[in-house]
This record gives sequence, C-alpha cells and structure tokens, in this order.
Amino acid sequence: MKTDKIGRAAIHLLLLCLSACMVLPVVFTVFSSFKSVNDIMTNPLRLLPERFILDNYRTILDRVPFGVIILNTVAIALTVMGFKLVTSCLAAYSFVFLRNRFSDALYFLFICTMFIPLSVTMIPNYITISKMGLLDRLMGVALPQLCDAMGIFLLRQHFRGIPESLIEAAKLEKTPHLTILFKIVLPVAKPAVIATGIIFFVNSWNEYVWPKLVLRTEGNYTLPLAAQAFIGAEGSADLNITMAMATATLAIPLVLFLIFQKFIIGTFASSGIKG
Amino acid sequence: MRRISGRKKREKLLAFVLLLPVLIVFSVFMFWPLIQTVWLSLYDWNMVSPEKHFVGFANYTAIFQDGSFVQILKNTGLYVLLFLAIDFAVPYLVSCILAFAVKKMTAFYKSALFLPSLLSLVTAALIFSWLFNPIAGPLSKLFALFGQRFPNWAQTNGLVIVVLSIITSWKLFGYNLIVLLAGVSSIPLELIETARLEKTPPLEVFFRIILPLSSSTGIYTLIITIVWGLQWVFTPINILTAGGPDKGSLNIIYEVYDQAFTFFNTGKASAWGLVTLLLFSALLFLEFRYVEKGIYYEN
Repeated sequence: MKTDKIGRAAIHLLLLCLSACMVLPVVFTVFSSFKSVNDIMTNPLRLLPERFILDNYRTILDRVPFGVIILNTVAIALTVMGFKLVTSCLAAYSFVFLRNRFSDALYFLFICTMFIPLSVTMIPNYITISKMGLLDRLMGVALPQLCDAMGIFLLRQHFRGIPESLIEAAKLEKTPHLTILFKIVLPVAKPAVIATGIIFFVNSWNEYVWPKLVLRTEGNYTLPLAAQAFIGAEGSADLNITMAMATATLAIPLVLFLIFQKFIIGTFASSGIKG
Repeated sequence: MRRISGRKKREKLLAFVLLLPVLIVFSVFMFWPLIQTVWLSLYDWNMVSPEKHFVGFANYTAIFQDGSFVQILKNTGLYVLLFLAIDFAVPYLVSCILAFAVKKMTAFYKSALFLPSLLSLVTAALIFSWLFNPIAGPLSKLFALFGQRFPNWAQTNGLVIVVLSIITSWKLFGYNLIVLLAGVSSIPLELIETARLEKTPPLEVFFRIILPLSSSTGIYTLIITIVWGLQWVFTPINILTAGGPDKGSLNIIYEVYDQAFTFFNTGKASAWGLVTLLLFSALLFLEFRYVEKGIYYEN
C-alpha cells in the first residue's frame, strides 16, 4: 500500500515537471517582457522583474506600425476563418448526410491534400499569386487557404455523432437540406463548430511561412512576420524587446485558449479516431 | 418511382455542389501545383526569366550528385527520429498514465500540456532563442551554477537539430497527446483492471493490450508527427539558423525554399519537392491501409 502511494506521488511529480516544461516558458516570457535588458541578463532565473516597466512595449510601438500590423493579422485571420468554416460545414454535411460513391472518392482526394508538402505547393502557388497581382497583398495570403482538410474531418466526425433519426424525420417532412444544416445540424454541433472556428483563426494568426513569401512591405506585415524581424541566429541583443514581441504574438491565442480550452481539447481529441 | 429517383438525382447533385468550393480551391492551390512541380522539375529556370530550358532529368541527377544530398537526408532522418521520440513515444506513455494511472488533476495536466499547441512557432522560436541563449539565457546560467559551459548550439552540428526539434516539439506534443489520450481512453477499463489483477507487468499491458487496441490512433499520430514535424520545423530553422551551420540544420523541406527563393533554381527545388512527396506518399499509404480502413468498409 505504501509503495503504491509513493509510486503515485512519483507519477504526479513527473507530470508536474512535464507541465512545467510546457507552461513555464510562457510564464517567464510574459514576465520578462516587463524587465529591463539588464534585469533579464543578470537574473534570468528569477521570475518577477526588479521593477515593472512598459518601455519594451513602447520601443515596439516606436519601431513598427503596430496598429496596422494587428489589423492586417485580424483581417487575414477573420477572412480565412469565415471561408474555412463555411466550406468545411458544407463539405462535412455532404460527406455525412448526402453520402454516395462519388463523394467517398472525393473524401479520399481531400485526405491526400494533407500529404502534399509545403515544398511542393510553395513555388507554383507563389507564381500563381504573383500572376494574379496579389504579391504583397493581404488577399494573396488568404486566397490559397480558404479550405481546410483537417477542419472538414473534425466537423465530419462531429456531424456523424448526430442521431440519424433527427435528420430522417426532417427529410420525411421534405425540409430542404440547407435548412436541416442550419436549423438542426449546426445547433447540435455548435461547440465543435465554435472550437473549429477558433482553431482556424488561431492557425491563421500564427502562420509564418506563406505570409513571409507573399508579404514584402512592413505596412502589410502580420504579427509573426513583424516578430521575426526582432531576432537573428545568435538571439538578439535586445532580449527584452524580443520577449515583449513574443508576448504580443502569443496574447490573443493564449486568451482564446484559456476561455475555450474545454471545447478545443474536446474537438481535437476526436480527430485521431476514425471510422 | 420516378419521383423518388428524381429526388435521388437532386440529392446527388446537391452532394456534389456542397463539395464544389473545396474541390475548386484544392484543385487550384494543391493539385495543380503538384502537376506544375513535376513539370518544373524538368526545366532549368530562375522564376523570372521568360524562357525555360527543358533539361529532362538533369535536375534529379544534379541533386543526387550534389555533395549535400546525403547530409540533407541524414538531417531529415535525425529530425524524424527526434520527433518520433519526443512527440510520439513520450505522449503515448503519458496518455496511458493519464488514462489509467492517475485520477486527480487530469484536466489540469491536459490543459497545461496542450497550451503550447495553440501558440505560434515564431513565438516558440523567440522564447527558446532566449531560453537557449548561450550567454545570457536561463539555461546557460543553470549550467554555470554546476560549472558547465552551455554549448553554442546554433554553431554545433547535430546539437542544432536537437534544439530546433525541441522548439517544434514543444508545439506538437500537446496535440498528439490529446489525440492519443482519446484513443487510449477508448480501451475498456475492465481489460486493464483484469490484467492488473493478474499482476501482468505494466510493460506487457502496454504492448499486449494498449498498443494493439489503440493502433489506428497510434498510426495516425505517427504519420502526423512526421508530416507536420518536418514542415513545422521550417519556421524555427528560418528564423534561427537559416539552415546553418553550413548545411547542418537543413531538411528536405527547407532545401526547397533555399533552392527556390535564395538561389532562384526552381528546377532543383521542384526535384527536391518531389523527393519529399515520395516520402509522404509512403505515409499516405499507411494512412489508407490502417487509419481510414474503417470508413471504407462500413455501410
């Protein structure tokens, strides 16, 4: 019995250490963003600043057009989220409630897109976007990502959990399919739809590679692009500014996570259980 | 009869119409690029010149004969191994612990371990550039307390890949854990309890019961780890090392970017892109064989 207790304590200790590895970097970053550069350099192991200062954030505001950058990031993230939600809901509805042999084939085709690497699409998409005159435009960032295979699978998974009798009854009453989607399916699957929307938003918010290829001028930058400009290979000398920029980029996703964590974790959980 | 078949037809049409937006976007920005990449890999071109020269398979022979070919594959292999260790093996074990060994605080652990998954890789790179800063970072101070010198990882072959993998893994870990936990939790508890009563050693329980019964989720996670890991590590490479020292942290995805947008060599870049595709196709086969099979045969 006693060894059982010790074993359990050891397991909890292990899990706590692991949790600390995940959470502490974020906590330290947020606190360090209020430290002076001297404070960071001399006491990197201490969490609280000697003196809380806002100078680092002021420096960022001086160096980059921060408001515009936030607006750019929000505009792209909202566009991407909106389109992805609509296209994914329609596709998932079709896959679950209007299933036929042809749509099965398309389902497999859509899965394939998850296996087409960045390195294959990067060059042709860059050429396509430049031919459309969308280089250095927010639209050029959003356009290639108006659909999302992962989102379709997540929603499909949740739509499948809706009792078939509910749908059959509506079908017998000759309810149009779009009405079924908006009046029955979406309300029932609401938590999953919201969580999927947040995941779309956050993923777009966080995106780096494609915006980096498309956007050139600072006035068109998104937050991650602006943040990247603050560090180099050896780590920047302005560690305090770096930490403030890191805090700025993680703030919105962090808040969304803290509010919606239950939905988000629950929705992601189902993505690996197929069939 | 006719009315029913008319409705069926309309349903079929609707099924297709609802899938059409996705099909269009994927065709333009996924499938068409795939064809274009195959085509570009047969030409010598610098992305801007109006003329492309057909060179057949010369780009392929060029990358095979290139001195860095073996190194890039080796680097990629090392990345994959590290991702599998940190983001597949460890979360598998942790998910078993969370599912069967502890009852308290599981919600807290889940949230804490998942948190980095929603943060940007740029943020991760910024944070870890400080944590791992060889002069002023907290880890270097910790090392100093024990009289050790923290290595200049960005300039050290091998170690640079380890650090970049850790940065990427920080984000990938949580998602994999949550997915694996869902898979492992779906195993009937009685099976585990019975095995425990029979005093089956934990390792045997893991390999004989848990692993086989969660295999489809396990293989899904294995695939995702490789596919996402290799692509996600692009961001920390780009921000922190740009592929260096020399070519010490290049992987097959980054090499494509380097060839295309640093050296303006679309032919070689595309050939490299197709090497990646070949690797991912093998994983796609695994996905269809072991993960999606349930869907195919039902109904």
